Order: sequence, then C-alpha cells, then structure tokens
Amino acid sequence: MSEFDSALKIFAQESEQLLLDMEGALLSLESDPDDSEMINSLFRAMHTIKGSSGLFGFNPIVAFTHEAESVLDKVRNNERAIDGELISVMLDSKDHTARLIEHCLSSPDQPLPDELTVASDALIKRLTGKQHTHIQAQATDTSQVHSEGGGNISIDDSWLISLDFRDNAFRNGMDPLSFIRYLKTLGEIKQILTFFPEMPHGEVMDPESCYLHFKIAFTSDASKQTIESVFEYAADDCDIKILPPNSKVNAYLQLLDSLDENHVSRLGEMLIQVGALTEHDVEHALKDQSDAQQDTAKPLGEILVEQQMVQKPVVEHALKKQEQTKQKVAAENSYIRVDADKLGHLINLVGELVISSAAMNLIVERHGLTDAGDVAASMNSLVSSIRDTALELRMVQIGETFSRFRRVVRDVSNELGKEIDLQISGGETELDKTVVEKINDPLMHLIRNSLDHGIESPAQRLAVGKPAQGIVQLNAYHESGHIVIQIADDGAGLDSDKIVEKAIANGIIKADHSLTQQEIYNLIFAAGLSTKAQATNLSGRGVGMDVVKKNIEALRGSVMIDSIPGEGTTISIQLPLTLAIIDGFMVGTEQVRYIIPLSMVDECIEMDSTESEINEIEHFINLRGHALPYLRLGEYFNTPKSNVVKKHESVVVVKFGQDRAGFVVDELHGEHQTVIKPLGKMFEKLKGITGATVLGDGNVALILDVQGLIEAAIGKRKRKPALLH
Amino acid sequence: MAKTIMIVDDSASIRQVVTIALKGAGYDVIEAVDGKDALSKLTGQKINLIITDVNMPIMDGITFVQEAKKLAAYKFTPMMMLTTESADDKKQAGKAAGAKAWLTKPFQAPTLLDAVSKLVLP
Repeated sequence: MSEFDSALKIFAQESEQLLLDMEGALLSLESDPDDSEMINSLFRAMHTIKGSSGLFGFNPIVAFTHEAESVLDKVRNNERAIDGELISVMLDSKDHTARLIEHCLSSPDQPLPDELTVASDALIKRLTGKQHTHIQAQATDTSQVHSEGGGNISIDDSWLISLDFRDNAFRNGMDPLSFIRYLKTLGEIKQILTFFPEMPHGEVMDPESCYLHFKIAFTSDASKQTIESVFEYAADDCDIKILPPNSKVNAYLQLLDSLDENHVSRLGEMLIQVGALTEHDVEHALKDQSDAQQDTAKPLGEILVEQQMVQKPVVEHALKKQEQTKQKVAAENSYIRVDADKLGHLINLVGELVISSAAMNLIVERHGLTDAGDVAASMNSLVSSIRDTALELRMVQIGETFSRFRRVVRDVSNELGKEIDLQISGGETELDKTVVEKINDPLMHLIRNSLDHGIESPAQRLAVGKPAQGIVQLNAYHESGHIVIQIADDGAGLDSDKIVEKAIANGIIKADHSLTQQEIYNLIFAAGLSTKAQATNLSGRGVGMDVVKKNIEALRGSVMIDSIPGEGTTISIQLPLTLAIIDGFMVGTEQVRYIIPLSMVDECIEMDSTESEINEIEHFINLRGHALPYLRLGEYFNTPKSNVVKKHESVVVVKFGQDRAGFVVDELHGEHQTVIKPLGKMFEKLKGITGATVLGDGNVALILDVQGLIEAAIGKRKRKPALLH
Repeated sequence: MAKTIMIVDDSASIRQVVTIALKGAGYDVIEAVDGKDALSKLTGQKINLIITDVNMPIMDGITFVQEAKKLAAYKFTPMMMLTTESADDKKQAGKAAGAKAWLTKPFQAPTLLDAVSKLVLP
C-alpha cells in the first residue's frame, strides 16, 4: 500500500467519524439549539473535511463543504438562527457529503455524476436560501464551471481569466469585445460568463459606463506573460486576474523544485521565474500590501492567492522551497556550541605554544641559525594568528549583558517612583567571555547607584527644568586595546562638598586636603563613604563602591568618574579585552625583567640629563613642558644593585586614563607576547605587580600594575616637598 | 466593412510605413501630418482607432488627443500613442489625456498590427 493510499484510508475513517459526530451534534441541537459547543463541533466537522479533501484534490467535496461551512460559520457568529429546517438541511448535507466522499474515494478520476451535481446544487440552494450563482463556487472549486444548462465542462486545462472592467472603459475607447476576440488568436475560449451585477435599471443606467464583468475559461499553450499582454492596453480600465490552469500547477511545482538555490529569493521573484506570475501581478499585490495598514498587511503569498493570481499549492510550494533554502544557508554559517572548559584549555595550550615559540626563537638567535631563522619567523607569525583566533573564540558581544539591565532599570525605577529610560549603545562591542561574566556584578551596582543617587525624582527634575523622565545611558566601545564601558546619567551630579565633608568625617582625607575635583569624585570609591543621607535597600550603605572598584581592578581594569553638578554623572570602566594573553613591552633593570602592557606604553625616551630637565628631588622630568613624575623600577622593587656601571637609562612613558608617568629602566627589550600567569595567593596583594609570565629562556618576568605604579609615582612626587619642610 | 484607422505623424516615412502595413492588413487609413491637420479631418465619419505621434509641430499628440476626446463622435475612439522613448512620464501624460494604448518607436509592421488588433480587428 502506498503512502497515498494509506493517507486516503485515514481520510475515509476520519471523515466517517466526523460525519457521525456531526449527526450526533445535529440531533442534540434539535433539543438544545443554543449549545454552542455542538455548533462548534458541526463547524469543525465540515471545516476538517473541506481541508483534507482539498489535500487530495477532491474538489466537489471542497466546494460543497465550503458552502455548508459558511452557513455554519454564520450560525456560530449568531448571524443565523438554528432551527428545525436548518437542522434537517444539515442532516441531508451530512448524508450528501458522505455520498460525495464515497464517490471521490471509489472513482477519483471520474467527473461527478449528474445526479450528485444536481443534489449538490439543490442542497446549496437550501443551505444558503438563494439562487446559487456558481461564481462563489469558482473561488474554491476551480476545476469545474457549471454551464447554464447544468452540464459540466472540465476546465482543468484552462486558464481562468477574470476581467472586471471599470466605468471608464468605454470612455477610454476600450472595447472588451476586441480584447476577447484578440484573445482567441492565442487559443480557444472554452467558456465565457458575462455578468453585470452593478448595472442599474432604466434611467439610472449610464450607457457610456461599462458594467461588464467576464469570466473566461481559456485553453492555450501561451505563457502567462503573453496572455497578460493581450490586456495590456486595458490595464488602466480593468482588473485582470489570470489564474493558470490546474494542469500547469504541477509544471510550476517541478520548475520550483529545479530552481537553482542561488535563484531562490523573494517569493514574488521565484514565482515570476517559473512563469506562475507576471511582474505586473507581483507589483499589484505588493502595492496592495503596502497600501494596507501596518497591522492588517498580509503576507504576499496570501494576497496572491486571495486575488486569484496563482493557486495556493504553488505559493505553498514556493514558500517551502524558500524555507528549505534558508535553512540550508543558515546551516552553512551555523554556530557550534562548545564547552567553555575546552575552550579555556585550548587557550591555555595556545599560551604554552606562544611561550615555546618564544623559546625556540631565542635558541635560533643564540646559535645564529640563519636558515632555521626563516622557519622560526614564519612559525612565529602563525603562532600569533593562532593566538588571536583562539582568543577571538572567547569573544562575546556585551549587548546581551546590557539588555539584562533593562529589567533591572524597569523594576528599580518603579520601586523608586522615578521615570527612567535606559539607552543602550555599542552592544556589538566584543570582549572576553570571562571578563563579561565578571563585570556583570559591578555594572549592576553602578547602574543601581545611578538610578538611586543619580537620577532625581520626577518632581525635583521638573523643578530644575529637566524632563520628568531621566536617562541612563549604557555605552561600550573599544579604545586602544581596551574596552570602555560607560554608565552615564543625566541626574543631579555628585556633590563634591558633601563628599569632602563625609570623607573628612570618616577620616579618609585630612581637612587641609589639596585634592582636585576629579580626585574628590573618585573618593566615592573609597571604603566607608556614602553621601546619601538615608540608606535605601538599594544602595547608600557605603559598601559597594569600593568593592566595585576592587572587582574591576581584579580584571586589570580601572574605573573613573566624572560629574557635572546639575547635569549628570558619567562612570567609565576601562577593561582589558582579554585576561589570558596580552601584547607586552618588556623592559629590564638590574637583571630583572618586567612586562608593561603595550597598550599602556606611550613612548620611550632617553634619560639624558642634557636634554630633559630632571628634577631628582621632586622626581619629575620636564617632558616637552609637562611635568612627568617618574619612578626608578629598581628602587621601587628594591632589587639588589649590580656593580656594573650603567651606560644609560631609559624612561618608558606610560599612561593610564588621564595619568602619565615614566618608569626608569636600564634595558628596553621591545614587544613581547605575554601569557599571563596569575600570581599565587601569597603574592596577590603585592603592590605594583599584577602577574607574571614565563619567558622563552625559562626565566620569569613580572607584569607591572601600571595604574598602581603611576599612583605611586604621583604620590612620591607629592610627598617629597612635604618631607623637605 | 473595413475598419478605419487614422495615423497622425509629421514624418512622411512613418506615415507611409504605417499606411502600407495597415492597408495590407485590410484596414482603411486616413493620414494627417499634425494634430491640427488631424482635427480638421475628423469630420464625423466612423474611425475605429487613432494612432498619433507625440512630438509634432503646430499641435502635439497629447493636445490632439485631448481635443479629439472633446468631439462627441470620437470620445469613445481608442487612441494609440507612438513614443520614441518608453519614458514613463510621457506615457503617463498620454494616459491622462486619454490615450490608453502606446507603441514604442521604432517598431516593425507585425508589432504594429498586433498592437492594433488588440483594439480593432479588421
């Protein structure tokens, strides 16, 4: 038994059951006509049979059940009352449907015998209560046109052309007859129906207006394009619908199947390509679509079927093909989900590879192997691209993290009774997944702070002439090897007097401080400082900001705050793109090597007393007119002095945010791919060092905490004069 | 009875080609050299189709179509425009004036006859 046969069997069983249910429902409706559930089940029975008959191409069943369904739909919508008469018609309709199904199952290829056709028409008449015009039937049953005499002509091979002339056709010199006569030159007109439902009677009728409508069954080998061109000149004065013959449907389906994947594009284009539609059809349907209201606009396919431009199966097939192709294309650039641990392991291995490759370079250099040098160089560049690619694998967009805060902002602003709009930008900025995970909590805290302390209440805002709705902006962007995340609000800004007052009260600073505005703002990151008079459950307990700062610094990042009183506060978090491997700049002093993250190195200058003014007491260099505090790394880390006489010293100028400082070193070793190895627990709190790395020769180099060292350099310079007093 | 078609064009050669083609297909043909000439030849006789050029001296095709549509005897006569370029704005102007059919020059006799036969069969 083929699949089709077994499907037919299921259809037969299903229909039988449905009709049985229908009978039961009808009988119970007789005693209780208001039982809506019964009416629904009647409707479903007809609807389901119509649907499945359509699948098998049993058009007579479709046409008949469609009528019954329409009537039941009216009953369901209380547009028509259910009475004894309707119930008996429905019972007859149920029996008739059973006969139609029997006929279609036993001899699907035979046309409907006359007695069944007559019975269909008679029942439809009883159902609808009016003369059946056959026009309605055409909408669903395109396989048959009933001629006036009641005989059937199979028009399966016919094009169905419907011409609806407009009023002005005659006035524009359009004679419907000449087009129809011209049409005959392309093929044979099997059947033509003329009707004029809008034509008024007697004196009201305007003899210059055209009221004519035609439905033409036409057989021809011509393409849809050619047939359409017959009516080219009438296009302005006539609605033309050309439905390809059912026999063409299969040809279209085959053509659709054979469409090259590269040609699978938009639905309209596909259907034009196989010839099921003309460009004019598509243009027309697209216009209808765009004319429709936004919320009522239908998909193009639905419009095309509704306007009878093409059969439903063709559209469905085209859509299926489109979907398949889409899936295929989607599968081609799909994602693979990978265990994060595996990725971490890979990155560790790549780190080791980087170290080994550095070791190999060193050996090649040491032994002066020129031929091996070339190989080493090419391997070096390969290793660095492997490193970059491996790191990229872990890069994720920050957008997802950002969008999570929408909910937070919504909830918190409700809680606080404030109106706050969260504006997100730069969501596509990528950074290492481990960084993203760890930045979530600090960000949450900072945003809550902005919501609570930053944005004022609507009343306060209105009082100072700001819109009631406050804005919190979340932005991310890349800047010289770092990612910067900004949280900006348009609130009241920080109150520096209050901060100073509080800081003095808590003993964080002395009363005679000489802090800049910037430094005062940054005091809010000090432990035990909260300017909010009353602590809410959101923030204001003075713990948090220092934790935020610590967390960010643990990521080798930094946080800065800027504020304009009355206009708002901006908090900028600067983070490294990745935690695993960095491009470093290696320097050495007193036999010890240090790595400075390359992105923080500004320039290197000679520590030459003749060119730069060096103030050894106050520890600053006059660098092109600016005072640059400096630090001798050897002194700072207390490394034992060697007895070798130094030829010259160099200054590496580093910057971190707004601050700059110089590190005085003996040797400059240049760029170095640095695999960061975290320091053990014991050394975690060491000042000035954030990590270590293994060099190619097996020695260890220390990775400098540039931010801490800059602070130390600036601090040293400040303290010195005080000591002199 | 043979159908009558009027051809309005300032180019004698075009008129000639059109006339030969139409006569060969069994139509009667009336020739006019511009819009004004054509209007003077519209004297109430039955004309089944008017084919007119757009760019003509004295009276252009679009004005001519507008004028001809005002004449009771010809208000239902189909009008066909001959355009050198398939420029859309010209087509639209022609359509607005009342010429719903058009043909792009240069054309060959079979194309002309085909277009004509959509509107008038001989």
